[in-house]
Amino acid sequence: MELQFKNVSKDYGNIHAVDDVNYTMENGVYGLLGVNGAGKTTLMRMLCTAVTPTEGKILWSGKDIFRMGAAYRGILGYLPQNYGFYPDLTVYDYMMYIASIKGLRPPVAKKRTLRLLEQVGLTEKRKSKMRTLSGGMLRRVGIAQAMLNNPRILVLDEPTAGLDPSERIRFRNLISELSEDRLVLLSAHIVSDVEYIANEIILMKEGRFFRTGTADQIISSMDLDVWECTVPKEKMNSYLKKYLTGNVRTVPGGVELRVLSETPPTDDAVRTGATLEDAFLLYFGEKAGDRNDAEI
Amino acid sequence: MMLKYELKKIFTKRINQVILAAALLVGILLSCFAVGSVFYVDENGDSPKGLNTWRLLAEDKNQWKGELTGEKIAEALRIDRALSAQYPDGVPDDVYGSEMQAYSDIRDFVINVLTPDSSWDASVLDQLTDEQAEDIYDIYRENLSKMAEEYGTTPEEKDLLNRIYEKIEIPLVYEAKDSWDTMMMYVETYAIILAVIAGFLAAGIFSGEFRPGVEDVFLAAKYGRSRAVKNKIIAGVLMTTVVYWSGMLILSLISFAIMGTSGFSTPVQIWETYSIYIMTYGEYYLLSLLCGYIASLFCASLTMLVTVKMHTAGVAVCIPFFLLCMMPFVGRALPSFSAFFNLMPDMLINIIECIKAPILYQIGSVVFRQIPLIMVIYAAAAVALLPIVYRSYRRRGLRKR
Repeated sequence: MELQFKNVSKDYGNIHAVDDVNYTMENGVYGLLGVNGAGKTTLMRMLCTAVTPTEGKILWSGKDIFRMGAAYRGILGYLPQNYGFYPDLTVYDYMMYIASIKGLRPPVAKKRTLRLLEQVGLTEKRKSKMRTLSGGMLRRVGIAQAMLNNPRILVLDEPTAGLDPSERIRFRNLISELSEDRLVLLSAHIVSDVEYIANEIILMKEGRFFRTGTADQIISSMDLDVWECTVPKEKMNSYLKKYLTGNVRTVPGGVELRVLSETPPTDDAVRTGATLEDAFLLYFGEKAGDRNDAEI
Repeated sequence: MMLKYELKKIFTKRINQVILAAALLVGILLSCFAVGSVFYVDENGDSPKGLNTWRLLAEDKNQWKGELTGEKIAEALRIDRALSAQYPDGVPDDVYGSEMQAYSDIRDFVINVLTPDSSWDASVLDQLTDEQAEDIYDIYRENLSKMAEEYGTTPEEKDLLNRIYEKIEIPLVYEAKDSWDTMMMYVETYAIILAVIAGFLAAGIFSGEFRPGVEDVFLAAKYGRSRAVKNKIIAGVLMTTVVYWSGMLILSLISFAIMGTSGFSTPVQIWETYSIYIMTYGEYYLLSLLCGYIASLFCASLTMLVTVKMHTAGVAVCIPFFLLCMMPFVGRALPSFSAFFNLMPDMLINIIECIKAPILYQIGSVVFRQIPLIMVIYAAAAVALLPIVYRSYRRRGLRKR
């Protein structure tokens, strides 16, 4: 059982949201990394048959997913980026409704709903209206609904977005738990989340997959070294302009910078081990969200 | 299960609950207005307004209940003439209450018979002799033929009108029909309100999916492009049916429980003497209810379609209001296009006017009356729009751009 992208492109007018993607996925967790506008959501929406590719095909076990229709959607679970819900339904009713449109028979739906709500820690909230839930709880309902039909393919678009650190940890543990024996494709803008959960990482830029592999493979593909150095505060801006810089931290006597460079940026710079965040910074340059976060 | 939760989605929405509560309140208020609109004068000349007034009125008028023969009509007119002679400056209230009120419908019927194509003129009774009064049905038949000649613009239309008028059972059978007559206005007002509400609620069925992230979950589900869409449409139809008939049931039950149902079998020709719709007041009421239901269904289907096509309910919810509330004004402003405007959906909730005028449409050699034609058109349209809604929604996002 494999999922194949064959020359998949999606255009919106003159914009190439996804550009000639060729890739094959099997069971396992795939993390899709890219800046905003890289085409991650469009790719995921195509995978969920919400939109069709302008060109190319997506095949599941050799069959076009759009031709498979309900048979394909029956093995699919999807948590969209801007997860929406029906605010006036209770959590239980919402789950039962989604179970019904996923084709689960009522006794099975009830059993699965109760089990999943327990798994995501929302049993006590099952009678609460959806609109009364916090952001973290909503994401948990979101993943529970995606899991209702015990999907072979689980697509999670930014599942940790907007969650506080403890919720994020809880959530990525939950995803790890649920990822057994299925194909999970998740996107995230927080690199560490993807690094933690995914076996295979895909870097996506301008609609294309331009680096794929394990975190180590991607890190080892970097052609720059990572350095840590401390510079006087007044010189910080010139370093930021000159080098790709990751973390910036104020320390006694100046600021500590994490710099990507072929050569040491200062005489006392110390070479350090690269991480996936460094690779992200390297490949996405100034657009990298994490770098901006660090600067702030 | 899908349908159950689809309906739950509609009825648990807070805005919908507020609207339905308001609709219920309006239904009860309209019942109160209907009950309070009685005009009854007792033998002392007083106009009591108690809950049993409608029954007293019906009791009084039902002294004349039964076949309205020429002799009976002549007798009513003899009394009327005597009273008019006795009170040339106007009949006092106590005399009206004790004598005149009882036969007033019969008097009105005769005036209508004698003024087929002109405005209401009570003085025509002054020229009517006792013999003519006894033969009032001969005059009626003669005028019916004249009406068929006048309003039938083609041989087919004339033929249809003659055939319809021949079906009027003479003598007419009379029973006090004030409760049905009064209720017509209220039922049509309430039908407009319910149709607009049905449209609003139906628009929300699909617009609820157009929020970010909601639709993607729906469309990615196994039945998101098939059964689930069908169930949304069924929920729309079911919701309209439940809302409309529940509302009407409440209005009718409250009103008729107090007003009584006397006159169910009275032919509408007692008042709408030259109407081309041969039916009783009970049938007239049911017809009005049915037409209101068709209007509601049509509004629901149309708003669902517009919502699906425009991806928002903003415009869709205004459509029923425009069609049912604004269209009559547009029609009145453009009298030259009356043939067109007489086929607009607002006519479905204006049956009171429709039964007055002999409006006919001819296609080839087949002639249609206005009410059955609009009923068929809008019932068919309501049904025909549903597969379009289905196809439009299930294909969402699947067009290659």
